[in-house]
Amino acid sequence: MKEKLMTRRDFLRMAAVAPFLAAGPAHREDGVNLLSASKSRVVLIRHKEALDASGRHNPPVIQKMLDEAIMAFFNVKEPVDGWRRIIEPTDVVGIKSNVWSYIPTGPVVEQALKRRILEVGVPEERIGIDDRGVLRNPIFQKATALINVRPARTHHWSGMGTCIKNLIMFVPNPPAYHGDSCADLAKIWNLPLVKNKVKLNILLLLTPLFHGIGPHHYSEKYVWPYRGILMGEDPVAVDATGMRVLEAKRRQYFGGERPLQPPAHHILLADTRYHLGVSSPEKIELIRLGWQEDILI
Amino acid sequence: MAPNDEDSPALGRFLPREVNGWEASGRDETYDPESIFDYIDGAGEVYRAYNFQSLRVRRFRKQGQPAITVDFFDMESPADAFGVFTHDLEGERLAIGQGATYKGGLLSFWKGPYFVSVYAEGETPETKVAVLQLGRKIASAIPVEGEKPELLKLVPVAFSLDEARFFHTHLILNYHFFIASENILRLDRTTDALLVPFRSEAGKNRLHLLLIRYPDEGKQAQAYESFIRAYMPDASPPGFVRTEDETWTGIRPKKNYLFLVFHAPSLDQAESLLAEIEERVEALRGGQCL
Repeated sequence: MKEKLMTRRDFLRMAAVAPFLAAGPAHREDGVNLLSASKSRVVLIRHKEALDASGRHNPPVIQKMLDEAIMAFFNVKEPVDGWRRIIEPTDVVGIKSNVWSYIPTGPVVEQALKRRILEVGVPEERIGIDDRGVLRNPIFQKATALINVRPARTHHWSGMGTCIKNLIMFVPNPPAYHGDSCADLAKIWNLPLVKNKVKLNILLLLTPLFHGIGPHHYSEKYVWPYRGILMGEDPVAVDATGMRVLEAKRRQYFGGERPLQPPAHHILLADTRYHLGVSSPEKIELIRLGWQEDILI
Repeated sequence: MAPNDEDSPALGRFLPREVNGWEASGRDETYDPESIFDYIDGAGEVYRAYNFQSLRVRRFRKQGQPAITVDFFDMESPADAFGVFTHDLEGERLAIGQGATYKGGLLSFWKGPYFVSVYAEGETPETKVAVLQLGRKIASAIPVEGEKPELLKLVPVAFSLDEARFFHTHLILNYHFFIASENILRLDRTTDALLVPFRSEAGKNRLHLLLIRYPDEGKQAQAYESFIRAYMPDASPPGFVRTEDETWTGIRPKKNYLFLVFHAPSLDQAESLLAEIEERVEALRGGQCL
């Protein structure tokens, strides 16, 4: 394959990134050097029966998928043991969901997560589920742990609706982050309300949207039943993996390269500019579980 | 602002109550530039970039069929209605309003200062007929037509205007054709810009024209200097540079305009394209027919 030539338009895109790269390797607050640390682990689990005959989420199967994913992620034998790695009974837990009308996170997934958090010992009154009301929600205002869960989809303005983007409701003026195709979304992750509180990122690929049209950027024609869930601690690794799935589907459907429009460069910049995690497949340990047919990556 | 069907009652007069058995359902909703994000996630930024004033939403239902939604945008000016239409040109071209596309259950068209989207939640042969019928009814109810932006008249004849995109801000420019993260051409709501790709018989070509009209010569001069400094400090001859992919980029200031060509195969072609645009400006200002 011919190597792509770097033009000055490419250079001007990268120039915005370079000063941050020059700043040297980043460290998480727990001391882990993100650029030289071992790979970020991401679990991709799929199940043929994740959706019922009507295309709705199948509750027992969804619970099973989430349980198996967290067990594989933490290499433990019981789901609750995995949850205990990230949640303590004394935590105040916010499940940051997504209510987009066409493809929401949905109550089946939300309740499956809540069930396991209750099993850890967090009382119900200290568990909240919200999306657009997080800034006014007392649970989220005093949360000590956040579980970030949303469906994957192409997005008109940011290229892709991602776990990174899902925290935009924690800012009072979301349009302030819309510049340059939402390039700086990862900056939100440094706000006191969320910094170091997101314990798990779950990107739902149950019925992803791989192409959007019109004012609402939606057509059921471009939704497909992938029946998958991505899970990981590193939001950038989770999103980058999800993006590979969407890109692969677009290649398959359109019969050739059809890059996301606009490119979801907020994922790359979350890595290179904000050091929130890693985006390169070489730095991601992808664990594939369950149904493998048409897995695409 | 909360959705309210009393905010722009005038827009409702263009929308029918029934078509092919689909009947208007519930109260209409109205959104303004602040509340649009309550209704449209993400893409609301596009309409704001085109100075939209209000949006009227009417939903239609028919037993056993997917719902149909009409989004009726008052863009205030025909140029902006045309501009927002050119933001998404994918789909089959149809003769509805002053320009229309249809794809995947979605009809988009513009007429006068209005941009209209008619969308079926699922695409069936019946919904396609109803969507197109709704579009035609709405278009015929709008009594006025509007002028397309004057910048279109400056485009050399070798270029097709079918894929021209009209806009104001660098966010939209970068959406279609990335130049730089920084706003080096000083685009804002007061500037008009037109991006035109060149399509050869062989297919897609990287050559693009960008025509910009600034509110005054002072702003044009600032933008020109900014672009030269950021994009072509190594220009030779002045205003032209051979870029890393061995194509030519050129810029030419004229009155309150800037004209740019990207990825021209040769210096000659870059120069002649910009010269032709300049001549068309003179002709336009002289009142000559183009």
